[in-house]
This record gives sequence, C-alpha cells and structure tokens, in this order.
Amino acid sequence: MNLDWSVVWDHRNELLHGALLTVLLTVLTMLVAVPAGIVLALMRLSNSKPLALASQWFVEFFRNLPLILVVYWAFYVMPVLLHIQFSAFTTGLVALCLNVSAYNAETFRAGINSIRKGQLEAAMSVGMSRWQAMRQVVIPQAWRRVLPVLASTWVSLFKDTSLVSVIAVGELAHVALQIRSQSFRVLEMLTAMAAIYWLMGYPQAKLVDWVQKKFEVKE
Amino acid sequence: MELDFSPLLESWQYLLGGLGITLLLSLMTAAGALVLGTALGLGRVYGAAWLRVPIVFYIDTQRAIPVLVILVWFYFAVPILTGISFHPFWAAWMALTLHIAAYVAEIVRAGIESIRPGQVRAALALGMSRTQIVRKVVLPQALVRMLPAFGSILSITIKDTAIATVIAVPELMKRAETIAGQSYRPIEVFTVVALIYFLILFPGTRLIDRLYKRVAHLGRS
Amino acid sequence: MTSSANARKGSGQPPVVVYDKVRKLYGSFVALDGIDVQVNKGEVMCLIGPSGSGKSTLLRCTNALETIDGGRVLIDGVPLPTDERAARKVRQKMGMVFQNFELFPHKSALDNVAIGPVTVLGMSEAAAREGAMALLQKVGLADKAHNFPSGLSGGQQQRVAIARALAMEPEVMLFDEPTSALDPETIGEVLGVMKRLADEGMTMVVVTHEMAFARRVANWVVVFDHGKVVEQGPPEQIFDAPHAERTRDFLGHLGWNG
Repeated sequence: MNLDWSVVWDHRNELLHGALLTVLLTVLTMLVAVPAGIVLALMRLSNSKPLALASQWFVEFFRNLPLILVVYWAFYVMPVLLHIQFSAFTTGLVALCLNVSAYNAETFRAGINSIRKGQLEAAMSVGMSRWQAMRQVVIPQAWRRVLPVLASTWVSLFKDTSLVSVIAVGELAHVALQIRSQSFRVLEMLTAMAAIYWLMGYPQAKLVDWVQKKFEVKE
Repeated sequence: MELDFSPLLESWQYLLGGLGITLLLSLMTAAGALVLGTALGLGRVYGAAWLRVPIVFYIDTQRAIPVLVILVWFYFAVPILTGISFHPFWAAWMALTLHIAAYVAEIVRAGIESIRPGQVRAALALGMSRTQIVRKVVLPQALVRMLPAFGSILSITIKDTAIATVIAVPELMKRAETIAGQSYRPIEVFTVVALIYFLILFPGTRLIDRLYKRVAHLGRS
Repeated sequence: MTSSANARKGSGQPPVVVYDKVRKLYGSFVALDGIDVQVNKGEVMCLIGPSGSGKSTLLRCTNALETIDGGRVLIDGVPLPTDERAARKVRQKMGMVFQNFELFPHKSALDNVAIGPVTVLGMSEAAAREGAMALLQKVGLADKAHNFPSGLSGGQQQRVAIARALAMEPEVMLFDEPTSALDPETIGEVLGVMKRLADEGMTMVVVTHEMAFARRVANWVVVFDHGKVVEQGPPEQIFDAPHAERTRDFLGHLGWNG
C-alpha cells in the first residue's frame, strides 16, 4: 500500500472550489426553503381547507421520498415538463429546495402550534386581527422554538448537498470523486473528502449544540 | 408528452427484487443501529469519562459527514486499508449502521435526560439502587418517549438505503436507474419508483404516530 | 427552650431522628444554619415557615437524598452513612411522600405500591401484590388498583404514593408538602389518610402549609426561617401563644386567626 498524499495538495484549488459550491448550495437552498416553509406552514394552519390540504400533501410527499430520488427525478422531469434545459446546478438546487421546504414547513407548524392558543386568543381579544396576532404575538415567540430545529436542518442540508453529485454538480463530493477516478488515488482522495467534510461539518454540529442550549425552552 | 410504462411492466419482478433488498437492508440496518446506538447512548449517559469522550467524538463525527461519503469510503477505502473487500450489500449495511447508530445514541440520551429528577428521587427514597432505578424506572419511561423518534429513524434508514445506489447495491433505487437507462424512459420509471417509496414510508410514520398516542401516558410523569 | 418538654409525646423513649447542629450549603447560600431538633417515636412533627426557609431541605437530608455540610443527622442513634450502599439500607427505614406524587407512570397503582418490596426487599411479586392490595384498601383505593397514574386524580395519586411508602414498613414517614399540588377538594382526602396514620402511632415529619391540619394533628411544631429554627413547641404554643416575633409575623401573614 503506497500512499501519495500530494494528489490532495495538487488539486487543492478544485477541492476548495467544490467546498465553496457546497456552501453556496446550502445557503441558497435555505434562503428559499425558510420563507417557503413559513408559507407552507401558514397555509396548513389557515382556515381555507384547499390551502391546508395542498400544503399537507406537498409536505407529506417530499418528507417521504429519498432525496437522491428527487434529485434524479428533477433531472429528468424538469426539462420535459417545463421545456427549458436547466443546468445541473439549478436542478440540484430545485431538488434540495423542495425537500428542505417540506421539512421546514413541519418545523414552523410545530413551532407555531407550541405557542399556547391562549396567547392568540388574548391578542385577538385586544382587537387584533388573526393575522396581526400571529405576526405580533405568536410568530415572535415561535422563533425561539424554531431556531434550534432550523440549525439542525441546516447541518443535514449541508450533508445532503453531497447527493447532487450524482447529477454531476461540481460540489465537494463530485470533485473529490472525479479526482479519485482520474488519479487512481482512491484511499487518499476518499479520506481527504471525508476530512474536508468533517472540518466543515464538525464546527457546524457544535454550533447547533450551542444554539439548542441557548434557546432551550424551559416550561 | 407521451408516456410509456411498458418497461416497468416488463421488469416488475426485477423491481420487486430491488424493493426486497431495500427492505432487507433497512431492517438489518435499523436493528444494528438500535443495538449499537442504545449501547452508545447508555455509555454516554452513565459511562465514565474515558468512555464518554470517545463516544461523543464519534457521534459528533457522524453528524458532520454525509452518508454518501461514509458509504463510498467503506466500500472503496476499507479494502485498501485492510485487504478485505466486502460485497456492496455488507459494506452498505456496516456503513449505514455505524452512521445511524450515532443518531439513535442521541435519541436514547435525550429520552433518558427527559425523565424528571423527581422520579429518581422517589425511587431512591424507596431504597432502590442506581442500577435498579435505571432499569426499572428511567429506561421504561424513556423508551416510551423515544418511540416517535425511533419511528423517524426507521424512515430515515429506508431513505438512506437509496443512497447505497452509488456503490451499486442492487436495491430499488439502483434497479430503477438500470431500467431507466436501458429503456430511455426515466420519467415513467422514476415516477413509479417514487410512488413505491412513498407507499412504504408514508403509512409507516402514520402507524408509529398512532401507536405512540396509545402508549404515551406510560411515559408521562 | 420549652417548658412542656415533659409532656411531649414519646419523650420516654430514645428519639427516632436527631438533627444535631445540621448545616447545609448550596455554594455560598446557607440553606440550613445549625438545626437542633429531635423527632420522638410516635410523634407527628410539622415543619412550617416561609418558602425557601429550609424545611424541605432538612427533610431531604433526613433520608440522605442530600448530603449535609456540618453537624449530624442520627437515625435511631446512628449517624447517617456517607456510603451510598449503607445509605440505601437506612432509606428503607423511612418512607417519603413528594409534593408531585412521583408515581411511576408506566406501572399500575398496584404495581407502584408493590415495586418497593419486590425490587428492594426481594419479595415475590404475588406476596408483594397481596400486601399492596391491603394497603390500597387502607387508603381507600382498592377499586383503582389496576388504574395507571394517568387515570387517577391528584388526590388519588397522592394516596397511592402514601401506600407505596408504607409498603416498605418504614419507622418514620416523611411528607414534603404533600397537599401543595392538589385541588382544594382533594386535599381533604389526603389529610384524612395522614390523620389516620397519625392516630395509628406512625412517626411522621410533615412539611406543610396546611395550618389547620398542623394545629389539629401535630404533636410538635417547628418554625423555620432563613435556614434557622425560630421556635419549636406544641401546637397550642406555636399557634395560640407564640414566643417568637418571627412566628407571629409568619402566622399573621397567613391570616391565621387561631
């Protein structure tokens, strides 16, 4: 077993680029999936039956599918359905957004529901409309309960970006696997890939712990 | 857009076989992860420092690295290190078990820590030993509370087996890719397979929810 | 301190519990500041005083749920052991009833009462269950034997908790604000069980805010304030003619008019 770790150093720019793309995918997905999750949650909690049902189906559908399947499905279906040729990056992003929006919807719904109904009623009895009560009283309180879960979802998302590598999006996993095939330095590249993910992911996991501790709800 | 589902009808047995592998891999992983994860969780809560520190490091590492990376590393890198090569199924089983056990460990820890200290005090007041208290008072209640989380672990496991396609485990996802590639009918194939996954996963979570509602009062102190 | 010591119940025999200059600290906060009290056999002792004055802390030090930082706690003349195994043996001599009942939710009422004898005393399940049934009868809940705590009211849960403590055949029963978490309607049923226990001669130490109960049932009352014993004596003294200013203040705040 002769190892040559220089292959990692030689390709450091590509790996860095891949890592940056991983981060970019994570950030962009959350930018879309957080508002989308809020909208879906409000739809589900609204008084309109069709809106509530539509939201429920969307959420149940995407929470009960493997993400890798959604990635493949988006890759093949989107160009045909929408008659536009999307880049792999966009396709991967769409798949991630659909998936994470569904999880966020549940997070926001649970967060809003955890605020006692009494709060909503108290606000409305002062004369606020239901919508005002939600915005001024319920949602500000719900944030405390939602933030730790969002933090945890963020880290999961960060790891899930590796799945879009299967449609050749140039994020970290894809780049590392490509270099492996080209250089035949299997152990070195796979270990480097794991190490880089670990270096990025470990601090994020610890951050999540901190957030959860800080926003711990004491009943 | 014209749809042609005939490739699916022709290869339905092949797909069914894939589903069987998916379910087998999922159940074996869940079983392994449950056993290992519970041991790790108990070690984390009740173990001495020399046990706790490596366990915490292990759990945090699994939280930091994607499943895909672990799968690929197990299948390709471990043979180079140890000289033993594994059949993709076993590589996948080991990788997934080790990864998911970390999440089970955290669930076990959260369940145990959620038991009110008053329960422990009441048991101490009766004269019970610490071991007896863990076995007879803390764990039974904690297990009930963990039920919903265990349900979601099973769901996550089934979804993660689909990633095993990247190391060519012949489960449902891989076989779907094969048929889609051969028939040039990816939309039909992936849509149907999506439905199959949904039909396995969706009722499962509903069932766990229902079961939990019935026994939840046994964990409420 | 008190002139009626001769008339004090159980004073002919050695005391069951002796608190000798007991001190307890939480960090720099002094929770107990030199407590000198003794509990006689067959006596019902009530600990009263404002919240945070140390009453519950003293109770928890009695069965070694908490350790002390100074002085001694003597049970039957023997200081409390520091070794956990030995402490466990001593705990078996005492029964404790908690403010939040703390019944085990995963066991029926009957099994809650039986769990002590089975797990700690090694009794057979059948024998333990028989004894448990008798105790449930005693507290008036034989018909609820197979209910789980989630199916019992607060007062019922507390009565089961009392039965659970009695199942270990303790020498002394410790009650930590047993009725503070109960609805006014159910307080009576629990106090009734406690009074019956007292009439049967059980040695009891009760931390309580139920002054009427203390007035009627207690043989000795100890008034706490800021970790110290302000006054102790028979209920007639404490409630009708208190010696200490603090006692008068405390009872006055409660609106106690005798």
